Amino acid sequence: MVQILFFIAAIGAVGGAVAVVLLRNPFFSVLALVVHMMSLSVLFLLLHAEFLAAAQLIVYVGAVMVLYLFVVSYVGGADEPIDDAGVPRFLAPVLGVSLLFVFSLAVGGSGLKLLGTRGGDLAEGFGAPADIGELLLTRFLLPFEIASYLLTVAAVGAVLLARRRRGLEPLDEAAGSRGEGAR
Amino acid sequence: MSAVLSPPPLSEVGFETSVAAQIVVAVIVFAVMLQLVPILLLAERKLLGRLQGRYGPNRVGPFGALQPLVDIIKLASKEDFAPRTAATAIFIVAPVISLFTAIATIAIIPFGDTRTDGLFGADYGLYGIDVSIGILYAFAFGAIAFYGLMLGGWASGSKYSFLGAMRSAAQLISYELAAGLSLVGVVMMAGSLSLTAIVNEQDTMWFVLPQFVGFLIFTVASFAETNRAPFDLVEADAELVAGYQTEYGGMRFAAFMMAEYMNMITFAGIATAMFLGGWHGPGPGWLDPVWVMVKMAGFMALFIWIRATLPRLRYDQLMSFGWKVLVPLATLNIVVTAILVVLV
Repeated sequence: MVQILFFIAAIGAVGGAVAVVLLRNPFFSVLALVVHMMSLSVLFLLLHAEFLAAAQLIVYVGAVMVLYLFVVSYVGGADEPIDDAGVPRFLAPVLGVSLLFVFSLAVGGSGLKLLGTRGGDLAEGFGAPADIGELLLTRFLLPFEIASYLLTVAAVGAVLLARRRRGLEPLDEAAGSRGEGAR
Repeated sequence: MSAVLSPPPLSEVGFETSVAAQIVVAVIVFAVMLQLVPILLLAERKLLGRLQGRYGPNRVGPFGALQPLVDIIKLASKEDFAPRTAATAIFIVAPVISLFTAIATIAIIPFGDTRTDGLFGADYGLYGIDVSIGILYAFAFGAIAFYGLMLGGWASGSKYSFLGAMRSAAQLISYELAAGLSLVGVVMMAGSLSLTAIVNEQDTMWFVLPQFVGFLIFTVASFAETNRAPFDLVEADAELVAGYQTEYGGMRFAAFMMAEYMNMITFAGIATAMFLGGWHGPGPGWLDPVWVMVKMAGFMALFIWIRATLPRLRYDQLMSFGWKVLVPLATLNIVVTAILVVLV
């Protein structure tokens, strides 16, 4: 059962990732990314990271990808090819391969030791929200706070940029119609 | 070799119950819950009729009781067609996604505590599953459910459907946030995400009293999440014909319809477990599931009553109400609850 699930999810993850790059229609590209994310969350579940699996679905599938889909289907762009971004084409594979190299180094340096074994020992309640919450508020408090600060900066910056692009609107008027920005 | 490579089974880290108990409980829960949909359909039409000063369906069978059956036969005998502009594969898959996620969510609604009377040779619970992530499970499937509406609307290749899908995207994201935040107060008071643990915490006092603000926010947000009046802008018939389901007919339309009512049942079940004391009530232990059903029926009657009472909101009202009233109020509720939980 576990093996079957693993292979279905693995095929979904790899196939989804490949399809994101290969599909020409941006809408289907985004859908492929959704399939990829869902497969990842199944993999998390198989590793007993229940909270991570739920968070992956709620945050990425439920919020981030929804916004992608929203924008892509409004803007359309199925007729226009995605290339011609002003960057030479041969750079893409070069960058991709070098990224793969870096990731291979990182993976090879850490996780592969446990390959062929049953994996690490899991404590009672591993991957449960209580465990993760405690770690976030004790051992990883500083990274956690820095990450949330970074996200706040990004959100404020996005609002500011969006308002500037609209142009001539004076500040007090823009404050009155903030509800439209949230749309 | 494969046995060596596989991770430890779920039972080692999570819950454990016998396979027979799991199968029996799952079959019973889903058999009963699926039967609720036609009953709910009929109850809604009857109640709506009475609230509007008419009889409602009363022609087919005694008191019109066979009306849902006839409706289903009508829908089942219709042709499944797709518009020429539709993206056919996605058009077909969309209602399946909707229905699948709606049914999957029901698994976490608890109808009774974990039983230790050894009926199946092991402990078993009157619920589908009891996971450590608890209520997050419902929201995870809610996240996927959105794709049913979105893809259905997009793949129809029709402007009305597309606009309905776009509205559903904005509305569901906005109100899912409020619904999630409104439940955090309950989770903090119970100290657990698991629905059974939350219900067990309520044996002296239902959380609807200390968390009244949270209950109100959750109720309003659940109207929006299930696309019910006064938040049914997704399928506002006067402007969008029927929103994302405009181009659907036959059993595909029925699947969307059923998913909508299943979502209603699910939200009623979550409200019952989180706020209304779940299976707690007077009487012997075997009455537990009955109490859950009674409370859920009460919550669903509220859904119907509101539908008959309130007119539809305007789109900008919907957005500003969600973001400027519900979300700040839910956040405030969390802060106050957190302070009180620490102090008291």
